Amino acid sequence: MSELRIPGATSVAGPTAIQVARDREDVVVGNEIVRHRLSSRVIHWTVAVFFFGALFTGMPIWSPVFGWMASVFGGLSVCRWLHAWLGVAFSAAMLVMFVHWMKDMAFDASDRNFNVFEYVRFSDREDPDVGKYNAGQKFFFWMAAATMLVALLSGIVLWWPAYFGQTLRSLSILLHDLSFIGFFVAVVGHIYLGTAAEPGTFQSMTRGTVTRAWAKLHHGRWYRKVTGGRS
Amino acid sequence: MALQGLEIRRSSASLRGGGTGLRKMPTVAKYIDTSTCIGCKACEVACQEWNDLPNAQTAGPSHGTYQTLPTMTANFWNLIKFQEVQSPEHGLQWLMRKDQCMHCDEPGCLEACPAPGAIVQYVNGIVDVDPERCIGCGLCETGCPFDVPRYAQGTNKMAKCTLCVDRVSVGLEPACIKACPTGCLQFGDKTALLEAAKHRVEQLQADGYAQAAVYDPPGVGGTGVITVLKHGDHPDWYGLPKDPTVPTTVSVWKRVLHPIGFIAMAAAVFGAIGHFMAYGPKKPKDTSKESGGEV
Repeated sequence: MSELRIPGATSVAGPTAIQVARDREDVVVGNEIVRHRLSSRVIHWTVAVFFFGALFTGMPIWSPVFGWMASVFGGLSVCRWLHAWLGVAFSAAMLVMFVHWMKDMAFDASDRNFNVFEYVRFSDREDPDVGKYNAGQKFFFWMAAATMLVALLSGIVLWWPAYFGQTLRSLSILLHDLSFIGFFVAVVGHIYLGTAAEPGTFQSMTRGTVTRAWAKLHHGRWYRKVTGGRS
Repeated sequence: MALQGLEIRRSSASLRGGGTGLRKMPTVAKYIDTSTCIGCKACEVACQEWNDLPNAQTAGPSHGTYQTLPTMTANFWNLIKFQEVQSPEHGLQWLMRKDQCMHCDEPGCLEACPAPGAIVQYVNGIVDVDPERCIGCGLCETGCPFDVPRYAQGTNKMAKCTLCVDRVSVGLEPACIKACPTGCLQFGDKTALLEAAKHRVEQLQADGYAQAAVYDPPGVGGTGVITVLKHGDHPDWYGLPKDPTVPTTVSVWKRVLHPIGFIAMAAAVFGAIGHFMAYGPKKPKDTSKESGGEV
């Protein structure tokens, strides 16, 4: 890793980007900018592991079409048990993630200018007014939190049917199903945008860093902030 | 469990399958005449004995009736329910009804069950559970309009009346029927038993029970247990729901939400692929000046 010092930037001499990214973020190191420090990345991937665990143990229960997934975990009876606990673990991890990112994900005035239809057209235009996260990412964050809550509460009812009335139980079937469908669709979009659609993004969740060009293109205001206004 | 010689008509969480459709069999039924039941509970004992079920603990707070247990349990599938009702027409009525799985023609438990083959309906209409395939999720309880499914302690497997399918498949009548001393329980071809029930209802009507009726609720396609009620206008007096149906949410879930879910999931995946082809990746215009590395 090259150790270029950019005059005026809040770069750190000495440690490499990956070292800096262990405990600091929003810092310029050479040509890279630390976007997600280690704790942010660990939290994200913990949520992801529990999410996919709950997803793949839940899908064979949802439909026999996905019955083959059950054999990975040792059968449907195991899934039925594992799914509930993975759901609890996912919810707990989500709660930690929620607290961790809550401030960054608060909507601000500039988010009103976000036009999702314009955004998905992927024009080469830079987004000069976008902070660390754009309104779409913020929306995803809050919707995920809300959907998690619906899935958790309806899941608890389905877990212990003996303690709840028939109406609540049958309503929970629908709510749990809707939250699953919502999550599935949203996560496909999340993965797509984080990998193939916007190259350079995935690295921000693995190595923790992005390039200057990436930051300028996707998050102009954040770029100016971390570089001290110079670009 | 799929028994030798009995084909399966319907199987839970199975898209295709079942029997060949070649072998025809009459739908069987259990006939219960509540007006000649004397509440002797011989059927309860016979059920426990034949099915090798340990006796249920009966000690506990008294619920003020002759009933063996407050409700059915995982190891008590056949319960005579005793009800005392004040009828405006006939005064105090002491009503007894044999409660068990109703073996619905359209079973809500089977519809709700997510485990392939855990709940089956044989060609003769008997609804049965395969504990080996049951995952103990409890969804059948939500699907059942008669509050029948119970769960074994520890294993959480669902257990209920099998209509003695093991006896029926070899030409015997269910244990409870065999034990009944008054003949208020009969077993056989459902069509024939409905005739018998009609005849009995006419007798009761002639005896002054104008509202006497056969309980064979159409909301679940009819049941494999047909019950003659003296007070046919008040099935609730016997602890029976008035117009039982499979909960709407269960059918909405399986018949509406499932297809919508599949379409939404496919749309998301193909939408992402299509978007990539139409709009391509969004990446910085010129990365050659960057030495920090693009992925």
